[in-house]
Amino acid sequence: MFDWSFVSKYAPFFVNGAWMTLFISVFGIALAILTGLVCAGIETAKIPVLKQITSVYIEISRNTPLLVQLYFLYFGLPKIGFVWDAETCAIIGLGFLGGSYMAEAMRAGLQSVPQIQRENAYMLGFSKWQTLTRVVVPQAVGISMPGVVANVIFLIKESSVVSAIALADVMYMAKDLMGMYYNTYESLFMLIVTYLIILLPISILGTWLERRFDYARR
Amino acid sequence: MTEQTVQVETVQNRQTDDAAAMLQVTDLVKHYAGAEHNVFDGISFSVPKGKVLVIVGPSGSGKSTLLRTIAGLEPIQGGTISLDGQVIETGKPGNENSGRAKRPEALRTKFGMVFQSYELFPNKDVLGNITMAPILVQKRKKAEAEREAMQLLERVGLADRAHAKPHELSGGQRQRVAICRALILHPEILLLDEITAALDPEMVHEVLEVVVELADAGQTMLIVTHEMQFARAIADRVILLADGKIVDRSTDPEQFFTDPQTERAKEFLHSFDFKRNRTEQAEEALERFDNE
Repeated sequence: MFDWSFVSKYAPFFVNGAWMTLFISVFGIALAILTGLVCAGIETAKIPVLKQITSVYIEISRNTPLLVQLYFLYFGLPKIGFVWDAETCAIIGLGFLGGSYMAEAMRAGLQSVPQIQRENAYMLGFSKWQTLTRVVVPQAVGISMPGVVANVIFLIKESSVVSAIALADVMYMAKDLMGMYYNTYESLFMLIVTYLIILLPISILGTWLERRFDYARR
Repeated sequence: MTEQTVQVETVQNRQTDDAAAMLQVTDLVKHYAGAEHNVFDGISFSVPKGKVLVIVGPSGSGKSTLLRTIAGLEPIQGGTISLDGQVIETGKPGNENSGRAKRPEALRTKFGMVFQSYELFPNKDVLGNITMAPILVQKRKKAEAEREAMQLLERVGLADRAHAKPHELSGGQRQRVAICRALILHPEILLLDEITAALDPEMVHEVLEVVVELADAGQTMLIVTHEMQFARAIADRVILLADGKIVDRSTDPEQFFTDPQTERAKEFLHSFDFKRNRTEQAEEALERFDNE
């Protein structure tokens, strides 16, 4: 039978776990967005050498599992002298994975701004910087937004992997409780509910953002 | 060979030594990287202040490219472009891939350009589209820029759409906003690149009306168009461009359109024959259709 008393007793575990999930996600996603911006900028500006490095990074990042990336950071790097705590590894890991996905979404946005918009800006006398910040980026943001929102949600879900390097996120709490008390249903129920509580508002906010930046092009 | 070249240049220069010329194009050469032939192999013409030069010609003759080189959107490989007697662009061979001309911002705004595809900034409303450049580039006060924008919108009949987003406007309305956006910078010369070609027929008129009014007000313009009736009504001078060459030019548009003097002009204008009445043209078209 479903044991509600177990739920009420151990719900605070999930509150703590949720904070950890959010902490890792917020910083990991911020790092991913920053990495994505830099990579998309390099790719769009076609800067030699850096462009090739970016392509290699994107391929490695997208074609290896996050779990493997985390193991490399947490268990591999100490062998060559880099010892980072689990939180740092988790944030860097999430940023490393998310960076390539963000870069692709942002690059698509930047490249979809028609050439004629830049030509209009040129004829109106805009400087290169004004063209970028006032014409290209605002339009690219609109086009990138659905991809970026999807990536944010994807990365929050993907953060469940950090439990593998002993970080006490929501996934870790569920595994811990199941291991100790065998209350599988109740633990998984609380796990799913916690993720929904975190993700539903973000999903709704994301939909609003997508609408806000959709300029209804022809 | 040399003799011939000299002769061609002389013929072309005949009408271009214009003391009052606002825009002077001399021996312009345009070449695309990897292309076998030059797009333009040394063409010259001028636009006097307050006059309207209309460029006509078959598709692919280089009309739009000509406008784009003058605007600075395409590099030129030879010749010069002068504005108000100052050389602003000198062609350099081998710069095909150098991108847009490195013109200072103040110089760029002396040219206003309206493109065929009415591209407004989708993230700004009508007023925002028009006032962006005067505020950002000319550092004018927002209130003053908005006041002038409203006057311009009034002039083109769109004052009530000042706060509409571009996607809420029809093609003709967008094109009129694009004209306002160019005009607010007080360009010395307005370049119109087939501005009605992408519009539905019923919207062509509302846009052309605005252009005619501008011409009456003394705006110097360089217009590329396929609308021959419009060209005839508005032109002070006409150039017929074919295969990158000026094959005919006239300072008497009425004669050019109704009684063309050269074979090339006759050939080109045949399909737009103004002397025959419409029934006659329709019958001929039907006849051709029946024969096929």
